[in-house]
Amino acid sequence: MRIQATITLFLLLGVVCISCGKKRTAQTVAAQGAVRLTYWCASNQSEIDLATELVSKWNASHPKIQVALQPIPASQSSEEALLAAIAGKTTPDICANMWPGAMDDFTSSGGLVRLDQFPDFMDYLTERIPTELLESFRSPDGHYYQIPWKTNPIMIMYNKRMFRKAGILKPPRTYSEYLAAAKSITKDLNGDGRADQWMGYQDIRPIWWQRFFDYYTHYIAASGGQTLFDSMGICFENDASIKVFSFFQEIYRNGYFPRTTFQGDNFLAGKFATVITGPWNITHVEKFKKPEFEYDIFPIPVPDDYHGPVYTYGDHKNISIFSTTKNPEAVWKFARFLISAQADLRLLEVCSQIPLRKNLTKNPLYQSYFRENPMMTKFAEQAPFTRGVDGSSVLKEIFDAISQEYEACSIYGKRTPEEAVANAAHAGRSRRQRRQTRPGYH
Amino acid sequence: MKSAQLKTKSSDKTGYLMSLPYVIYFGLFIGFPLVFSFILIFHKWNIVTPMQWIGLRNFYRLFHDVQFFIAIRNTLVFLVIHIPLQIFTALLLAILLNQKIKLKGFFRALYFLPVIVSGVVITILWQQLFAYETGLLNLLLTKLGLSKIPWLINIKWAMPSIAIMATWKNVGLYIVLFLVGLQGIPRYLYEAAEIDGARPVQQFFHITIPALNSTMVLVVILSTIGGFSLFIEPFVMTGGGPMNSTLSVMLYIYNQAFYFGHMGYAATLGFFFAFIILIVVLIQKKFVERKD
Repeated sequence: MRIQATITLFLLLGVVCISCGKKRTAQTVAAQGAVRLTYWCASNQSEIDLATELVSKWNASHPKIQVALQPIPASQSSEEALLAAIAGKTTPDICANMWPGAMDDFTSSGGLVRLDQFPDFMDYLTERIPTELLESFRSPDGHYYQIPWKTNPIMIMYNKRMFRKAGILKPPRTYSEYLAAAKSITKDLNGDGRADQWMGYQDIRPIWWQRFFDYYTHYIAASGGQTLFDSMGICFENDASIKVFSFFQEIYRNGYFPRTTFQGDNFLAGKFATVITGPWNITHVEKFKKPEFEYDIFPIPVPDDYHGPVYTYGDHKNISIFSTTKNPEAVWKFARFLISAQADLRLLEVCSQIPLRKNLTKNPLYQSYFRENPMMTKFAEQAPFTRGVDGSSVLKEIFDAISQEYEACSIYGKRTPEEAVANAAHAGRSRRQRRQTRPGYH
Repeated sequence: MKSAQLKTKSSDKTGYLMSLPYVIYFGLFIGFPLVFSFILIFHKWNIVTPMQWIGLRNFYRLFHDVQFFIAIRNTLVFLVIHIPLQIFTALLLAILLNQKIKLKGFFRALYFLPVIVSGVVITILWQQLFAYETGLLNLLLTKLGLSKIPWLINIKWAMPSIAIMATWKNVGLYIVLFLVGLQGIPRYLYEAAEIDGARPVQQFFHITIPALNSTMVLVVILSTIGGFSLFIEPFVMTGGGPMNSTLSVMLYIYNQAFYFGHMGYAATLGFFFAFIILIVVLIQKKFVERKD
């Protein structure tokens, strides 16, 4: 008994010592007069590398504001980790991987600092990005809670050799051209009755976020930059949606995309002629491609009767300051450093991601980078023609409804595109209406 | 007497102290979540905003939620396919492994291997085997001159395919149970039957099967519990598709809680489903008691 009591006492003492140790570290920093901030970055290696570099630079030049870096804790998605942190009141001071679609959850909980309270916020941001784009990140309450940081325009990367072999000399621009190219490319090479190469591939599982890269990207392109909502509410029950559903129905009906889940990179393996992707993929392709592998990029195809600039999904990621911070001014200062011209250059160089910045390709600071990385120029030129997602509390459920109908219609051909789009819109509207009229109802 | 009482009290204290770690574990990871989930069923909560009392509205939604009842139907379909298949396969293999064959130990270990391998790894492996265009199973079928089977991409085939995979994964465990049962059957019963002129098939149905009754019941109960918690397979392989045909109850609850942030509703679904499992287990218990 005595031994057990002694062990318990030692364990308690250990815990107390560890706690005191931690307290002393924090007190030391405070005693030295320095503010200590925590910064969460995305957990992929290139962004950790970039954040590590930027934080060391910042800490070296700002002894009074010291920043501690931590990648977002492991979870299914960054949003889950951040929501859990808000619930547990363990949020960092600042986070640089905020998905605009989840903003409503964060702001409704009062978890974020209103950024337009900083006197220089609007000036700083309007100098950086076009006003129209900045406006799209404004919250329904009229305030800003996110600093537009980077975009990953979704485009189509294609295997030039496969295209040449199939006699396709220029990348397809319209649905007809794309389907014709797909017909030439999808082949059974060894004559076993099974296709061995396809035009492309998308994950067919009915998971709501999978639709960002097939339906949603193509919908933005087909509608000339429209998102799922307009000022009147849900607006995707339109001709553009029907055309996108029909387009993919045609693709799956003819077997141009396989209805299979693949492991590994089959684009690099030469099984798929195209891949719907963002600029981040360039680093991966450059690293793992065989020397003879040739690739290029083209914009998302549009309906045959579409005229005008081709828009796409932008997959924006932004920066926000959490309301748990005790030093909002210091955090804002650090945030400005993260989106400075030099930091944006490093974002391009280290992560192959596009900063949201006016006249990016024409800015002398970035010109040598784009000269050396011509593929990135195509993504950068697409960047002004991107759209994100609407900040709605039922966004995931609307995407889920779209995903269910897309699966039934486009992948399995069990519904007409008209029916599927109408069903998805109806499901989305009733979900939204229920939320508005019955606040207690989930 | 007093000294004996003191000794008992001291040993009680030691007992309490020794059980304290589990009590703490139970309280933190089972007791508290259980009570908290129960509170949640009367609330709306998305983790970040404060909980909001909504009375029985989550139940109202449950009884109008078509997708949840589809998920229950799918889970029952899975059980109906999986349990008989599991019993048949495990019993057949156990009987074979109970014969005097070479490398018996090796085969027993081999069949048990999938039980200890991570479920996610096995699911990804089977996803590739089931692949319609490129999977090995369809390659084999086409080599044999048969047509391809749309394993995971057809409403009728998807759940049976998952049941086949789950059977393969768990068969090793049930083989062990059946082997224990088989080895417990007295040899003299077979010898007496042989003298009476009973053929092997008659011996199987009149000696082996009745003697394995309690093992059979155990396998049914374990398969049922395992089947009700079907999650990894549809989560990784199909995401609940095609067209909700593999949406299991657990997957649906997960989606509601962690995709859509409907914690209160997910808790309600969880309690309701636990109630269904309780009914099934009570029926099974009654069945077992009657048999005994």
